[in-house]
Amino acid sequence: MNDRYKNVLAVGVGGQGLITFGRVLAEAAILNGVKVLTAEVHGMAQRGGSVVTHIRLGDVESPLIPLNGAHVIVSMELLEAARYINYANKETILILNKRLIRPNIPGVKMPKMDEIIEKIKSIGLKTVILEADKLAEEAGSYVSANMVMLGALLGSKILDGFVKLENIEKVISKMPEPWREINIKALKLGYSSYSQDSY
Amino acid sequence: MLDVVIRLISLLVVFHIGCILMSKAFLEQVGKTVLLMGNEAVARGAVEAGISFASAYPGTPSTEIVETLARYANVLGIHVEWSTNEKVAFEAAYGAAMSGVRALTCMKHVGLNVAADPFMSSAYTGVRGGFVIVTADDVGMWSSQNEQDNRWYGLHAFIPVFEPYSPAEAKELTKEIFDFSEKFEHPVILRTTTRISHARGPVQLGKLRKPVWGEFTKNAERWVVVPAHARKLRLKLLKRWSKIEEAVNNFPFNRVENPGSKKVIIACGITYGHVVDVLREMDKINDVTLLKLSSTVPVPRKLVVKAVEDAEEVLVVEELEPIVEDKVKAILQEEGMPAKVHGKDMVPRAGELTLNKVADFLVKFLNVSKQSVPWLGTHQEVSIEVPPRPPTLCPGCPHRATFFALKKAVSKLKMKPVYLGDIGCYTLGVNPPYRVQDTCIEMGGSIGAANGLAVTTKQPMIAIIGDSTFFHAGIPPLINAVYNNTPFLTIILDNRTTAMTGHQPHPGTGMTASGEPAKIIRPENIARSLGVEYIDVVNPFKLDEAAEKIAEALKFVEEKRKPAVIVSSRKCALLVISDARRKNIKIPVYRVNLEKCTACTRCYNVFACPAIQVLEDGKAYIDPMLCAGCGDCAQVCPVQAIEPTIKPGKEWKELWW
Repeated sequence: MNDRYKNVLAVGVGGQGLITFGRVLAEAAILNGVKVLTAEVHGMAQRGGSVVTHIRLGDVESPLIPLNGAHVIVSMELLEAARYINYANKETILILNKRLIRPNIPGVKMPKMDEIIEKIKSIGLKTVILEADKLAEEAGSYVSANMVMLGALLGSKILDGFVKLENIEKVISKMPEPWREINIKALKLGYSSYSQDSY
Repeated sequence: MLDVVIRLISLLVVFHIGCILMSKAFLEQVGKTVLLMGNEAVARGAVEAGISFASAYPGTPSTEIVETLARYANVLGIHVEWSTNEKVAFEAAYGAAMSGVRALTCMKHVGLNVAADPFMSSAYTGVRGGFVIVTADDVGMWSSQNEQDNRWYGLHAFIPVFEPYSPAEAKELTKEIFDFSEKFEHPVILRTTTRISHARGPVQLGKLRKPVWGEFTKNAERWVVVPAHARKLRLKLLKRWSKIEEAVNNFPFNRVENPGSKKVIIACGITYGHVVDVLREMDKINDVTLLKLSSTVPVPRKLVVKAVEDAEEVLVVEELEPIVEDKVKAILQEEGMPAKVHGKDMVPRAGELTLNKVADFLVKFLNVSKQSVPWLGTHQEVSIEVPPRPPTLCPGCPHRATFFALKKAVSKLKMKPVYLGDIGCYTLGVNPPYRVQDTCIEMGGSIGAANGLAVTTKQPMIAIIGDSTFFHAGIPPLINAVYNNTPFLTIILDNRTTAMTGHQPHPGTGMTASGEPAKIIRPENIARSLGVEYIDVVNPFKLDEAAEKIAEALKFVEEKRKPAVIVSSRKCALLVISDARRKNIKIPVYRVNLEKCTACTRCYNVFACPAIQVLEDGKAYIDPMLCAGCGDCAQVCPVQAIEPTIKPGKEWKELWW
């Protein structure tokens, strides 16, 4: 892989704020003067189902990230991280929220959280696990967990040269209060916790 | 407690913050580059082209075009409406374009099936103002019943089809084809696909053109398609078509890149971006000739000839059907050109193209090694079984309550009915544990098919249809049932909104697209006026009472052999939560009393509300972040272990109406 572009795959469960995650990141990239394309899923696919947003920053023409092609996978939920692991290659960084949501299927067999984490780690990729919901609560609302994850993504430095943290803050500062304050707090908590929580 | 309420409602707040972000971008200053979704870009292109009129029926992935325009209709001074269905939307916009103004109508691909009748005629009469028909095709069926390729419609009707490859191009192309349409006084199709409609990218904003008033000029020979006129119009149409075939050769969004190679790739619409990215990855971008095609119907003959002049092999890259491929083969044969044309022998015909698929066939076509693309090869895997996560009815969804009451009624009567389903959130009732969708065909197909099945079988038939879908296409088949005295029960799920596509208002909502107050049309009043003899309105959250009333209606159908209608009436829970936030009303979330809970699993496995999670010992736990306070689970629990955390007040109950 080269430095012409960066592929960020954001996954989770419908309602966890992935579309906002992608939009804030993409708007910040534009403020940075960097080209960006995203692809997301609406409608039937969104009703509490598995959701994936592709964000491609830099010199690209297609909005889709190829399998094996993500530079980083940001996952709001652990089952979804496991589901979309085929987008990772040997150099991919995984940034995961330590949260498990039961699919709404009668009698569904659920793997245990520790088991999923252990199996994901056993692949051998650089894996950072945060408690984004908890950190978001600290910032003021669990809803801002997506901004915690965005902060962690910036904290990973993988987007250096593509998106600056201050531009993310600029985009968030267009939101009304109290969300502006809560989201900026969440972003910063995520940013600083990336380096603290290692794998 | 307040904290819980804030948490509960904040999901929707985030949604609205999103809207605020979006709205600011859409009307930013001219010249600025902003992030727009493909659908917003089309909307922006239309206002830069100076439309006076826009209409649509919501349908994924097309919805945000007219939704965006509706938000600014008053600022822009244009008329924007949600029409009752695509046919009406088409006719309304077509009418506007007859008057000389520029008009836009948008629909998902299958919506054009509904609008096909006026669509065909519009090519005969042509239009006076620019008329753009957006068909948002759902390649890959992310939210649709099929992945039909609507470029066929262009060929079928003699209406040209244009396809952008990115949000930025979607804006420019929309603007350009309004001029094209007006120049030829002919309707045009803008065909997008999900990966354009729901992609976001930088778009540079251009100047807005002011809308104008139109005037209808009488001319029966043009606007009255009786056979004598239509015969003449057909000849005129064919003449116009020849001119259009010539014009697309110079269409500015088509271009030949790197001419003169032995291998030529023709990339149509969205595939251009995929192909360029893969060629760059392979470092082959300078080794092939690339024909970027934005006008796919008709195929520009001269441009194709120019692009393949020196070619030995040509690959046509297009999703779904070989529409351009077949035409390119015909052109080369007619021109006596020897190049071998590949297409669907290499490019998959089903599903959307991904970079991996494109890389797979480009490796073959260009005869290069797989190693030239770093991401081709085996994938990472996690060695656990990941359960699927299908979409599901939301916490507090009144459809779940109706389904539960319905199953209760049916089991009480020991009946084995067939459930004829329809298009909407309630189609999710196909999944366990509900299983109350035995068919789902198209909009209105529930009541439609019941008209046949109730006659040719001895099984009880229950048609289940949403309110928006009922207004869209459910009324004629219900008239049919009254007229022919066909015995079946229709259940209209009345949640006051078009929920699946993101809560667009409809004739039962009381509000227009641009937020003006409107008359509320009630489904039960329609049924009454049609002469349905048994009509009842139920509150699905009163489980026993609703089950009783549904059972009565089923008995009526069985005994009297006549149609009956139940309107199950409660608002979409997402709207209720949003209203509660606005009015500062506390949501009475429920909790499980673990001392009473017997881990019977009924609430999470039989009722299956996603807010109900499972504890290690099998007992239930209600996530206060997700609970919508509907209280249905408390009625489902056989041991009364579920109770509200605060007493639901009058104000709260009224929100659900």
